[in-house]
Amino acid sequence: MPTDNDDHIDRRTVLKYAGTAGAVGLAGCSGNGGDGGDGEDGMDGEDGEDGMDGEDGEDGGDAFELGVTMGQMDSGLDPQDHAETNTEIIVGQAYEGLLDRDKEGGIIAGLADDWERTDDGSVRFTLRDGVTFHNGDDLTAEDVRFSIRRIVFEDVGIASPQSNDLGVVDEVTAGDGEVTVSFEGYNPIAFQLFATNGEIVQQSWVEENGGDYINRNANGTGPFRVTEYSSGTEILYEPNEDYWDGAPAVDELRMSASSESSTRVNQLLAEETDIVTNVPPNEVSRVNNSDVATINSVPSARIIFLQMRYDVEPFSSQQFRQALNHAVDVGSIIENVLNGFGNITAQPTLEGHVGYNPDIDPYPYDPDEAERLVEESGHAGVEITLETPIGRYLRDVDIAQAAANQIDSLSNVSCEVEQREFSSLVQDVTAPDIEDRPHFNLLGWGNGEFDGSQTLTPLLSSSGALTVLENEELDGLLTDAEATEDPDERVEILQEANQLAHDLAPWVFMHQQFSVYGVSSDISWEPRTDEFIDPDTATQQ
Amino acid sequence: MSFGRFALKRSLQGVGVVWGVITVVFALRFVTPGSAINAVAPLDASQETRAAIAAELGLDQPLYVQYGQYVFNLLQGDMGRSYIKGQEVTTLVFERLPATVELAVAASVVAIALAIPLGVVSATNRNEPVDYGATLLSLGGISTPNFWLGIMLILIFAVEFDVFNTSGRGVDVGDVALSVVNAEPFVGTLLAWLAYITLPAIALGTYFMALITRLTRSGMLDELSKGYVQAARAKGLPRTLIRYKHALRNTLIPVITVLGLQLGTLIGGAVITEAVFSWPGLGTLVIESINQRDWPALQGSLIVIGTSFVLVNILVDVVYAYLDPEVVND
Repeated sequence: MPTDNDDHIDRRTVLKYAGTAGAVGLAGCSGNGGDGGDGEDGMDGEDGEDGMDGEDGEDGGDAFELGVTMGQMDSGLDPQDHAETNTEIIVGQAYEGLLDRDKEGGIIAGLADDWERTDDGSVRFTLRDGVTFHNGDDLTAEDVRFSIRRIVFEDVGIASPQSNDLGVVDEVTAGDGEVTVSFEGYNPIAFQLFATNGEIVQQSWVEENGGDYINRNANGTGPFRVTEYSSGTEILYEPNEDYWDGAPAVDELRMSASSESSTRVNQLLAEETDIVTNVPPNEVSRVNNSDVATINSVPSARIIFLQMRYDVEPFSSQQFRQALNHAVDVGSIIENVLNGFGNITAQPTLEGHVGYNPDIDPYPYDPDEAERLVEESGHAGVEITLETPIGRYLRDVDIAQAAANQIDSLSNVSCEVEQREFSSLVQDVTAPDIEDRPHFNLLGWGNGEFDGSQTLTPLLSSSGALTVLENEELDGLLTDAEATEDPDERVEILQEANQLAHDLAPWVFMHQQFSVYGVSSDISWEPRTDEFIDPDTATQQ
Repeated sequence: MSFGRFALKRSLQGVGVVWGVITVVFALRFVTPGSAINAVAPLDASQETRAAIAAELGLDQPLYVQYGQYVFNLLQGDMGRSYIKGQEVTTLVFERLPATVELAVAASVVAIALAIPLGVVSATNRNEPVDYGATLLSLGGISTPNFWLGIMLILIFAVEFDVFNTSGRGVDVGDVALSVVNAEPFVGTLLAWLAYITLPAIALGTYFMALITRLTRSGMLDELSKGYVQAARAKGLPRTLIRYKHALRNTLIPVITVLGLQLGTLIGGAVITEAVFSWPGLGTLVIESINQRDWPALQGSLIVIGTSFVLVNILVDVVYAYLDPEVVND
C-alpha cells in the first residue's frame, strides 16, 4: 500500500508547488510589506499556469487517475446496511449482486451468468465460475445464500433497511454452484429486484468481523478494491486485477464529496476531479463555457410530484385535484427553473419502465379549465399550503414556489408554500396513519427497479407505505399485477393502472428529474439512468 | 483562596458545564422533529422494518434508559455507534478533530500575523492614511460573511489563477512533520500543505483578524496615552522601545485573553467554512449528523467541541489567575 504522501501528493499538487513557490518568491521580491504582496496576485496566477503547462507535459504517462465528487459520502461500507444512492455508488464499486443493469436499465448478468424461474415460481441463479473476493477467497453458493438471508431475515445479523428490496423471501437454498430463492406467493419482478438489489458479501468475513470493521472496510467481488477509507471524507480504490470481467482501465479511483454544489463545480473547473454530480442549472453554463469540462445529463429514474391526500378537503375532490394539474405549467417550470433538465410526466410510471402507458398525455396547462373545475368541485375560494423539502431534490423549493404561484394565480384558489427540513417532512410523509400525513406536499421517488409496480404500490395502493390514495379499482389492478405470471398481461394491467392513476389525479404530475453531471474533457464517460456511477466504464480521451 | 483551590474549583465548574452540554444535547433529540430511522430506512420501508431498525438502534427504549445507558458508556469512554454510519463515534470524532484544530490554529496564525502589526501601525499612525486603511480593512473583515469570502477566494485563487487547491485536505500538518522524519522533500510537502490550508485559513481567520486589529489598535492608543509612556518619552527613551517593549506588551494581555477564547470559538464555529472548502473536520460531521438525525455522532461532536471550549476557558482563567493573583481572591 502506498504511503500517505504517495496517496495525497498527486501530480497536480506537486505542480502546484511551482505556483505557490512562485507566489512566495514574488512576495519576497516585492519587498516591503504584506500589502504590497497582494498586488502581485496576477503574477502568481501566471506561475500557476506555468505549472499547468508542466502537467500537460506529464500526461503522456499511462496512469489513469479518476476523481468523482458527489454531494455526500457514504453511510458506512456495509453493502446491506444502507438505503441511499450515494452509499450505493461508493460500495457498488467493490460489491456486486447476482444480476446487474446496463446503462439504460436493462438486466444483464452479474455474479450469476444464468438465471431462470422454476416450475414452482422460485428463481434459480447459476453462479459464474472463477469469481473471487478481494481477499482471494472463492465466491461460493453459501456466501450468496448468507447474503440474501442477511438482507431479508433480521435474525441473521442486522435489521437491514433493504429487507423489503428483494420481495417477500421465504427461503434460500444453496446447491452446487446454484442458489434458489423461493417467495411467499408469486414474485413477478424477482429478476428486476435482484438486478438492482442484493449485493453479495463473504459469509466468513462478515462473521469474523464486527459492524465497525465491516463499515470501514470492503471485501467484495467488484471491479475496484478499497485501498484507503476516510469516513465522510474520501475513499480510494485500486483496480481489482482478478475481476471476472477484466480489470478496469482506471489505475486509481478517488471518490469524495462536497456538500456545496459550487465547490464541486470549482473542483471540476480547477481540474481537481473528473466527474461531479448534481450540477445545479445555474452552474451549467459555467461548466459548458470552460475549456476543461462539459455537462453530461441523462433522464433519471426519479420523478417529482405534488401529493394530494384523498381524504381531506379540498383534495378529496377528484375535480379539484385535476384542476391543480391544469393549473401548473410544468413545461414552463422545466424550462425556466430547471434549464430544460426534465421531462413532463403524465403518469406514475416513466417511459422505458415496465407498465408505462404511451397513450396518456399530460394534463394541458389551462388555467381557465382549472378555474372551472375548482368551481365545479365546490371549493372555490379555498386556501391551501404546499409543503416542500428544502434542498432534497434538484431546485425543489423553486419548483414548489413556481407551482404554488401558478395555483395561486387562479382566481378561486389561494396557495402558499411551507418550506420544511426534509427529515422533518419525511417523518410526516411516512407516518403509519394516513391521517398524520401532509395534505399537500412535494415529493420525489426513484424507481431503481424500472417497474411501474415499484412506484404505484408504495405510493398509491391503499396499503402503500407512502400512499395518499385509497381506491378499490386501483388496488385490484395492482393485486392482479402482482399475481399474474404472464408478463404481457401484467404490462397491460399496469398500463391500465397508470391510466386510472392519471384520471384519479392523486398527484400534480410534475417531471422526470435529470441526473446532471459535470465531466472532465480528459475522460470519456456516459452516465446511467439509474443514478449509479460506473467509473470502470470511463476511458481517457 | 489558594491558587490550587482556584484551579480545582474552575475545573469542577468545567465538568459541570460539560455534563450540562451532554444533557442538553441528549434532550434535543426529543424536541427535534425527524428521526434517524428515516435516514436509515428507505421511504417505503414497512412499519415492521422501521420497528426492527429502531430496536437495533435502541430507540425503542424509554428515555431514562437511553440517557442512563449513554452516560454510563460515556464514562467508560464509549460514545456509542453512529446510527447512520454504523461506526464507533469515538473514531469518527477523533479522526475529524485534528483537521478542525489544524484549521483553527492556522486561522489564528493568519489572524495574529496580520492583526497585531496592523493594529500597532494603525495606532502609531493615528488619523493618517495607513490608519484609515487598516480601519477599513478591519471593518471589511468584520462585515464580510466568511462563506462569501471563501467562495470568492476559491474562484480567484484556485479556479482563475490556479495557485491553491479549491477544497479538501490532501496534505495535513502531520505529513509535513513526517516528511522530515522520512527524509522526504520538506519544502515540497510544506508547499503542498499550504496549497490546501491557506484559503480556508484566510476565510476563517479574517473576522478574527479584524477583531484583533481593532483590539490591538484601541489597546495601543490607550497605553500610549498613559503616564508611564509620557515619562518614558520625557526620559528620552527611543520611540521604538517605548512602543514595542512597553506599550505593546501591556496591550497584548487582553489580546491574549481574547485569543484563547476565540480559539475555542474557532473550533466550534468553523462549520460553514468547512462546508465551503469541503474541509473534513468536526463542522462537516456536525452538519451531516444534524441532517441525518445521527444523534450519537452529533452528541460526540458537540461534547468534544464543548469540552475543548471549556478546557481553553479554564486554561485562560488559570493563566490569568497566575499572572494576576487578585483574580483568585475575587
